[in-house]
Amino acid sequence: MSVATESAAPARFYHVEKPDASERVERFLAAFEAILRHTNYRGLLDMYARSHTRCGRCAKTCQVYQATGDPRDIPCYRTSMIINIYKRYFTMGGWVKGFLSGDGYLTDSDIDEMMEGFYRCTACRRCSLECPMGIDHALVTHLGRYILSEMRLPPKALQVSVRAQLEGENGNTSSVPLAALKNNLEFLSEEIKDEKGIEVEFPLDKENVEYAFFCPVSDYLMEAETLMGNALVLHACGEGGNWTIGSKNYDAINYGLFYNDWILERNIRRLVEEVRRLGARTILIGECGHASRAAKQFIPAFAGKDAPAVVNCVEFAWRKFKEGKLRFDPGAIKEKVTYHDPCNIARSGWIVDQPRELLKAMAKDYVEMTPSGRENYCCGGGGGTVSIAEMQKFRMEVIGKTKAEQLKATGAEIVVAPCANCKKQLREVIDHYKLPMEVKGLHDLMFRAIQL
Amino acid sequence: MEGMLQFAKGPLFIGTFMFMILGLARLVILQVMQIREAMNRLNDRHFDVSSALRQLAEWAVPVKHVHYRPFLSVVSFLFHIGLIITPVFLFGHIALLRSAAGLGWAALPGAVADALTLLTIVCGLILMGARIFETDAAALSEPQDYLLLLLLMTPFATGFMALHPWANPLSYNAVLLIHILSGEAIFVLIPLTKLSHCVLFPFDRVSSDIFWKLPPGAGEAVARELHGNEARI
Repeated sequence: MSVATESAAPARFYHVEKPDASERVERFLAAFEAILRHTNYRGLLDMYARSHTRCGRCAKTCQVYQATGDPRDIPCYRTSMIINIYKRYFTMGGWVKGFLSGDGYLTDSDIDEMMEGFYRCTACRRCSLECPMGIDHALVTHLGRYILSEMRLPPKALQVSVRAQLEGENGNTSSVPLAALKNNLEFLSEEIKDEKGIEVEFPLDKENVEYAFFCPVSDYLMEAETLMGNALVLHACGEGGNWTIGSKNYDAINYGLFYNDWILERNIRRLVEEVRRLGARTILIGECGHASRAAKQFIPAFAGKDAPAVVNCVEFAWRKFKEGKLRFDPGAIKEKVTYHDPCNIARSGWIVDQPRELLKAMAKDYVEMTPSGRENYCCGGGGGTVSIAEMQKFRMEVIGKTKAEQLKATGAEIVVAPCANCKKQLREVIDHYKLPMEVKGLHDLMFRAIQL
Repeated sequence: MEGMLQFAKGPLFIGTFMFMILGLARLVILQVMQIREAMNRLNDRHFDVSSALRQLAEWAVPVKHVHYRPFLSVVSFLFHIGLIITPVFLFGHIALLRSAAGLGWAALPGAVADALTLLTIVCGLILMGARIFETDAAALSEPQDYLLLLLLMTPFATGFMALHPWANPLSYNAVLLIHILSGEAIFVLIPLTKLSHCVLFPFDRVSSDIFWKLPPGAGEAVARELHGNEARI
């Protein structure tokens, strides 16, 4: 597909002179220009460009940089890279400076570096806690990925998932057909009956209920226990008949967060559309960090004032627990348990204490990992990296190493991670480093401990 | 020399000082306008003011935020304190201002001012050392990061030399001239360089939150512009 630069109205100072550019450089600048024209990123870059002081504090918090020691992994380095390109090509001052020094052109090798560097970031936003200026490097990295995505350069795995979800016939990232989903839901109901002896339904397309439930579609393939926990919690607190899964969209995953704003918005709109079709009022997101954050943050942004409310399932269970509608057998979990905070729900301080309260109510032996809460280390598979098979070695041997050491130090037998992405990565880490523990969802344990 | 000193103390001082004030005012106005422009494109204009203020306060006195780099955090904090307090509350500066404009306020005792001056220089040197020897900061640093730091320390060093003849191998006037000119160079550079963070620091924290709220329809407009109506993934 060709990039229609000719038809575009010229941006301010864009291509004042012809840079020493390959076709790729031109496409990069054309994409950057279009993004600056239609979005808010120009204002953001102006502000960051004025005040970023390159102090290097973020380097200390970056798990990837601490593991690789490669300066190109420092969050501020990536931000500086984007800011420098912005200043050089899209501001008068930068143009004058470039003209005088004859320097600062974007080159093909810069683009190579970005294709590598921007996808090594796990988008964990730990650096956002440490910038004295309040610069959010993850937002600039998001912009960098956005530009690359408009050049069709993101890692293949992300492209394939996103395409399957938005343009594929099954409308979800794992291409799970509706028939398979239906089978799966029946199977889950039977499992619950076998284990708990009660009928618990997984309603499909039930209209005018309070909660429309969306989990990452991979849960239907890999996380049966978590889903059984979800349904049992809803059942136990009296909401069993008040929720549904939608047949037109049963995937909460929104890789737009790691891809670009167009994909992000399309996924959000699909979610809202499905909730409105079902006549539900609240979006209940399953155990998934990025989907929860994407829905919470971007439904108000894209769906307007009467947008449906968003609740994460951990938050939901905690509320019901506090209301006294959910009770656990205090000693039900005998193993030593620790909790991994998924970045996307914990970094902002949104869901930190709630899961701990729930865990302490059912586990005898609970231990914290260090650091924890808002400052927890990423599992090492965030930002879409967990789905990129080519990065497996890097995820294990480089980023995952920090996590492995942190897990090992707890001496726990169960690590609880209410996030499909974290679960997959942590399982691989535990396997790789042969740690004597297993990964569970929070709802897996609630399923075991719940009092009916 | 006398003539140059008089020029540097008089018209040049007023000119560069006004340049700084107007330059910073322009930046603040630009920031506010850009935030407003961004807000106008948003659906979701909810903004948590109290959280932003709390974070600002936390970072203004970074007690809560020192644990990743305790030593350098404290050094950097002291450096900023010295940079701001010393020149504003120096007896000599206030006396000059009083004679020129009839304005004045309480001054720091001489010994305290001396101590602050030396502290600022020492902290500046440590920060410089960190930029040079610490790989993280070294990898990020650009020439202006070193040059600005040197420039910031110049009026402190020369000011100390001017007040303490034993520390001054040069003539009083020469040192004073360097002191004044370097101070004025800083005035000019504040609105033009990263030094502008002295007034802009509250804006980034606020705007990061606002800029994360993406404007609806923007992504589609970008895709259509780049790939036409047939845009696919």
